[in-house]
Amino acid sequence: MNVSQTVNCTGLSAAPTVLRIKQALLRLSDRTSPLGVLVDADCDHKRLASCLGDRAGSVRFVPQAKRTPIYEGAKR
Amino acid sequence: MLNPTSSRANSSPHGADEHVLTAEAPSFAFNPTDPWTQTFQRGLELAGLKGKKVYEVGIGTGINAAFLLRQCEAAEVYGSDLDPRLVELAERNVRSLAPEQADRFHPVKGPVSLIDTDEAHARIAQSDVVIGCLPQVGDPTDPHLSAFREAQSVPLAETAEAKAEDHIAHYYPWAMFDTYPFNSVGLGLNEALLQRVRKHAPEADVVMNFGCRIGTRIIMEMFEANGYAPRLLHSQIVRQDVGTDISFFVTLEKALKGTGVEGDFVCEFFADEKGETPLSAREAQQLLDQDPQTPIYHLVGVIHGKPVPA
Repeated sequence: MNVSQTVNCTGLSAAPTVLRIKQALLRLSDRTSPLGVLVDADCDHKRLASCLGDRAGSVRFVPQAKRTPIYEGAKR
Repeated sequence: MLNPTSSRANSSPHGADEHVLTAEAPSFAFNPTDPWTQTFQRGLELAGLKGKKVYEVGIGTGINAAFLLRQCEAAEVYGSDLDPRLVELAERNVRSLAPEQADRFHPVKGPVSLIDTDEAHARIAQSDVVIGCLPQVGDPTDPHLSAFREAQSVPLAETAEAKAEDHIAHYYPWAMFDTYPFNSVGLGLNEALLQRVRKHAPEADVVMNFGCRIGTRIIMEMFEANGYAPRLLHSQIVRQDVGTDISFFVTLEKALKGTGVEGDFVCEFFADEKGETPLSAREAQQLLDQDPQTPIYHLVGVIHGKPVPA
């Protein structure tokens, strides 16, 4: 499915990701297509979708490779 | 600690004579006697900057530049500011506060947003360490931020708009930095700086000062996500600036209510200066609504970021 706009959430843990999606949904100009949400490849999509409740249907998660090298042992 | 409004400053690192200091700190500059500055300077002392070339983003009054040269014994100090008046002020203050080292201060003239000029790029590329203390609260009048706040039914403090007009360094243009993921919690400007430093000086360390009202952990996550290994150098509890709008933090908390991750993100204010009585942003706002002069506190922390090799 095509997305109308995308928002980059790579590097974010769950709470700031939810905040960023909520902020982006307010600015979504084309409400007929979902918002593309760029997330880290190891992101828990199901948990995020659960956090969004009935707005989960308005987004599509798009896994991405990590954008920068992270030192060993760092938590995301 | 250099304190331009006191009549005497600390002696030089070598125990030389004390100086009478009457440096300028006009209303358009960030108050150099603020506890934020004291915290930052203590962190800079701990950062091991002797012999290093240091660039300050947001040079302000020049108080930190003088401190870097005199107390930290930095080899060279560069710096720039969005407000060109401040660069001229910084030059005067460095000549006054660190006269023997002033020839090692090389500010970039004119208005510079972050490090976005060719001259700033060139100086950054020469730097061993980049330091800064940048705004972490979006401009309350920003239309996108206003829409987000209104969606959570959070009112704007009456003083917020006046504060936004009288001090360009107090808030940042939130929507302008929305391509940066950590903008969602007010760190867009800081993340933009990290990415620029990473590009133009990939081996430079960063030392940055933060109000930790969103918690220290998420600030550390921003460093990690941008390729820096973070370490907290120093922290101190300070009083929340009277009149500064905290509705942004209340909005973040309310937006997470009922999502299941609200426990992962709770703003960190305190009712006392020892930090023994934590308050959420909503609790802090309730106290301020009852009496705007209620003292509210939060942590300020200095974080050292070391670049992680690609």
